[in-house]
Amino acid sequence: MYKYILQSAGNINWMAIFALLTFLFIFITAVVLAFTKRKEELRHYASLPLEDGIKE
Amino acid sequence: MGQTETFYYDNKIVRNFGVATALWGAVGLTVGLIVALQLIWPQLNFSLPYTTFGRIRPLHTNAAIFAFVGNGIFMGVYYSLQRLLKARMFSDTLSAIHFWGWQLIIVAAAVTLPLGITSSHEYAELEWPIDIAIALVWVVFGINMFGTILKRRENHLYVAIWFYIATWVTVTMLHIFNNLEIPVHFMKSIPVFAGVQDALVQWWYGHNAVAFFLTTPYLGLMYYFMPKAANRPVYSYKLSIIHFWALIFIYIWAGPHHLLYTSLPGWAQALGTTFSLMLIAPSWGGMLNGLLTLRGAWDKVRQDPVLKFMVVAVTAYGMSTLEGPIMSIKSVNAISHYTDWTIAHVHIGTLGWNGMLTFGILYWLWPRLYNTGLYSQKLANTHFWLGTLGILFYAIPIYWAGWTQSMMWKLFGPDGILVYTNFLETVTQILPMYRLRALGGTIYVVGVFIMIYNLIKTAKAGSLVENVEASSGPREVHTSTKGEYWHKWIEKRPVQMLVAAAVLVAIGGLIEIFPVMLIDNNVPKISSVKPYTPLELEGRDIYIREGCVGCHSQMIRPFRSETERYGEYSKSGEFVYDRPFLWGSKRTGPDLHRVGDKYPNSWHYNHMIDPTTMSPGSIMPPYPWLKDDEINTKYTAAKIKVLQSLNTPYPNGYADRAVEDLKAQALGIAEDLKKNGVEKEGLENKEIVALIAYLQRLGTDIKPKQSVGLQ
Ligand code: HEC
Repeated sequence: MYKYILQSAGNINWMAIFALLTFLFIFITAVVLAFTKRKEELRHYASLPLEDGIKE
Repeated sequence: MGQTETFYYDNKIVRNFGVATALWGAVGLTVGLIVALQLIWPQLNFSLPYTTFGRIRPLHTNAAIFAFVGNGIFMGVYYSLQRLLKARMFSDTLSAIHFWGWQLIIVAAAVTLPLGITSSHEYAELEWPIDIAIALVWVVFGINMFGTILKRRENHLYVAIWFYIATWVTVTMLHIFNNLEIPVHFMKSIPVFAGVQDALVQWWYGHNAVAFFLTTPYLGLMYYFMPKAANRPVYSYKLSIIHFWALIFIYIWAGPHHLLYTSLPGWAQALGTTFSLMLIAPSWGGMLNGLLTLRGAWDKVRQDPVLKFMVVAVTAYGMSTLEGPIMSIKSVNAISHYTDWTIAHVHIGTLGWNGMLTFGILYWLWPRLYNTGLYSQKLANTHFWLGTLGILFYAIPIYWAGWTQSMMWKLFGPDGILVYTNFLETVTQILPMYRLRALGGTIYVVGVFIMIYNLIKTAKAGSLVENVEASSGPREVHTSTKGEYWHKWIEKRPVQMLVAAAVLVAIGGLIEIFPVMLIDNNVPKISSVKPYTPLELEGRDIYIREGCVGCHSQMIRPFRSETERYGEYSKSGEFVYDRPFLWGSKRTGPDLHRVGDKYPNSWHYNHMIDPTTMSPGSIMPPYPWLKDDEINTKYTAAKIKVLQSLNTPYPNGYADRAVEDLKAQALGIAEDLKKNGVEKEGLENKEIVALIAYLQRLGTDIKPKQSVGLQ
């Protein structure tokens, strides 16, 4: 079994499919993550650089 | 709601990193200018070991990447992290150790590289004690950053911080893997990987150093400082989330695109190309997100030099992230690789993206740190135009040069033979472009000195606000009624982020590294390929010391234009004893993989001492000291032993006989030189003899005639 895995490591199909699947997984998670955030939340996050708590 | 807390941001550490950024920037760019000039006027090598092109070029690249951009990263991170988290840095002591440690490492690099102390891995040239120091300082930075994150008063980690975290994790991994080496002595080590494996690990590193040192942290800075300077939030926070995850995931896979058409297995090359092309999407998403942040503020852009710098920077980011993937397409790479096209590409990245963003941030930051206005907007505008013009004057001629080189290398006449059989013709042809390039570099450097003047004047007009008072409520979750829950919550998010980023890059990293470990079985063994003799080994170390790899490749690609010019294309099995690999990445001079047996020993002798005697008009530096300096045999035995421990098949106990063998072989070459008119006492002890032995061995193992290889 171990030997088999080692041999197929040189096989592009295995690599390409694994890479594609993990990529899709990450991509979809990221999109879901981004689009399920509430609007106010996103607005708050986006404005963080502009609010540094310094007294003028 | 909790009570408002008052605290202070540490501005001094930001100022310190800022000063270091500007200073090392000036140094690194000036050295870059010198190496550019050396290619036009080889006299500027000064016939001194410490100032030759091969040793100075890595000084330039390391200074630009780790001193200039490195300090720029830390400047930006220390400023933005505190404010985004509403907390002072975790520990002032760690901040100070980080600052001084990093500067010491830079000084160590500036001393060791001209001394010829190098591992010859591009952008990882520093030897093992400095590698360890880098790891330690990097860990200090990590503790300081995560400490700050844990004591933060703001719940959400702004996207810039994600980029910082990913940077930290990945650089740690890259640095460790690419520097696995066994010390021979204090300033010399031998890498554990050899040949194809070493090449793959190195370019996995080299590529990701660009990705995770020159790109991700600067994207973090872009996401913080662009909204700051434009005084409006980023165009789309959703897009930035997708940008982040897609980018860090895809980037790590693209490394093999540096090794197309080499002896690397085909599937790894294909993987590199595919992922490189996919990279365009998140990169351009990021670029657009940056540029669109300025929508409706273009009138401001016209007036504010800070925003102008940023716009050019982000545009350059877009250009180079489009160009890079295109260069990863095999048919394009066949043209671009080994030429100056690559040099143009990286300078759009460093001068454009990193440089211009750094300058923009410095101009924005300095008046705020010193609580005053910028000394001169006019000078800043002048700098902006010099910078932009400098980039154009640099890039356009050098693109042209790269293209010209490639066309000339590949041009066949109607009779089916190469038109430019003499490589030197393809060099002299592009010297006018090199002159223009140096002009562009000069313009850019002048701009940097104007900036330094402007910043000094600004600082003098104001006074440094070392600690800035700020206030904020404590973290909201603190008041949660769910007992201890908040405590876990604090630690959970950033740690999750750290782990997620680590897992992501590790998947990509392992997938690439895993086959490397197995390549050993995939590399077809060639029985005639034998380990280097002790003399050749010492000669090879001289080749490494002098940085010949900065101008010469040792990797003949399977194209007719290359096999006609150089001979049989390179096989992966030929490199199994190459520690480190010396394939190189640029051909300012011809490929040397089959140079063995091409010329008599005396040709090499004269050529090395003064290349123009054998090749009139050559821009290769002279190496006169090689005929005077004695071969150092003190560590020969130790080197053999380390190589044996890495399974190089020297006979048992060979280390004890190594120096004896070395002397015998050297004597042979010295006698041959004498016979051919080289008059010099004690030649057999001189470094030049070792170097000649190495050059004459190159690529000969698979030629029918067996050379002086070890029996
Ligand atoms: C600045 C770039 C540069 C550096 C550094 C450099 N060379 Fe060269 N080299 C050239 C150029 C250009 C040529 C072609 C013209 C000539 O023959 O001198 C060349 C030619 C050669 C040749 C002849 C190859 C042939 O097939 O004709 C050899 C051998 C050589 N170099 C060895 C070395 C060694 C060894 C070092 C390091 C000690 C070195 N070079 C460093 C640029 C460089």
